[in-house]
Amino acid sequence: MQLQEFADRSHLDSSTIEAWLNAEWLVAHRPGLQFSEQDLARAHLIQDLKGDLGVNDDGIALVLYLLDQLYGLRCLLRDIQAMRITASERPH
Amino acid sequence: MAADPYATLGVKRDATQADIQKAYRRLAKKLHPDLNPGNKAAEDKFKELSAAYMLLSDPEKRARFDRGEIDASGTEQQPRRYYRDFADREGSSGYTSAAGFADFSDFAGSNDILSEIFGRAGRTTRRGRGADVRYHLELNFLDAVNGGKQSIVLPDGTTLEVNIPPGTRDGQILRLKEKGRRGAGDSPPGDALIEISVLPHPYFVRKGDDIHLDLPISLKEGVLGAKLKVPTVSGAVAVSVPKWSSSGRVLRIKGRGVPRADGGSGDQYVTLKLVLPKKPDSDLERFVSEWQPSDSPRQSMRV
Repeated sequence: MQLQEFADRSHLDSSTIEAWLNAEWLVAHRPGLQFSEQDLARAHLIQDLKGDLGVNDDGIALVLYLLDQLYGLRCLLRDIQAMRITASERPH
Repeated sequence: MAADPYATLGVKRDATQADIQKAYRRLAKKLHPDLNPGNKAAEDKFKELSAAYMLLSDPEKRARFDRGEIDASGTEQQPRRYYRDFADREGSSGYTSAAGFADFSDFAGSNDILSEIFGRAGRTTRRGRGADVRYHLELNFLDAVNGGKQSIVLPDGTTLEVNIPPGTRDGQILRLKEKGRRGAGDSPPGDALIEISVLPHPYFVRKGDDIHLDLPISLKEGVLGAKLKVPTVSGAVAVSVPKWSSSGRVLRIKGRGVPRADGGSGDQYVTLKLVLPKKPDSDLERFVSEWQPSDSPRQSMRV
């Protein structure tokens, strides 16, 4: 989706989106600043952290950094699990 | 339907707004689905918690609830897709990072598959990496068993060469590194994931690494024995059928099954099926009518 739709659906103004992009909290796909549904869900998560959970900006960068690692680890674990299932389906 | 919001937040009915916020933050950190990707129940609990907080954090709504004017379910929220629904699945693009395990690639050691997984995942970072693309490829039975090259024509008209390893199974997913969507900037493209389905064969049946085959033989071949040509997945071979072979006898042809990754192969099992001539044969009928069997094949059934 384009910037305008992303701003509408995330209830963020474009200067906030710009700031989050600069901070690498969000990564838009260039050219033309394309956002995905995943980016939108991530923006909602950041809003939750900032608003209801009271995390400050430095804290958000840290939380996102650790979460990205956590999800990376989960992807890796799933790959290993899939590999083990594949291996156990074959005799020997 | 909704529980008591005070109980959900674990606060007394005379709690201050600050107490309520504090209680909410304490619980939300434990229950926010994106912070608990492995806890499936977290989403429902978090919804209940948010609903309770939305009600009690608004002094006006809280007062109306306390007076019994609205109930706890009066604050249903919009359904929402959480970040974990995107980030927590294979092929999710963008943000996930390998920084938490990149140093473990040594641990994979000599295990090819493990080191491939670590190598792929550990490529510095996945940030900006292109999305994985899924394709479906139908193989006929022998192409899957023996392997070989296949091409897929992509929607944009280009073709993708796929190396099918010998012994490929139905449902297996082959991964072609960096043949998916282009990444952002200098980031690597995603992978192409190719799901294989294998079409059935008219007479070969695969069980694990073994091939099973029903082989029709004539009455004469069964009684007198014969040397027959038998099809296998790697070409016909000569097999001796011992004399006096009944239907159901199984012969094993060693090493003529499905090739394995370790260089070995499964076996082929040939089940003999005694078949009478298609057309009634008066010579055979006359000959058999003069023959007196000495025992009944149903002796063990005691009929």
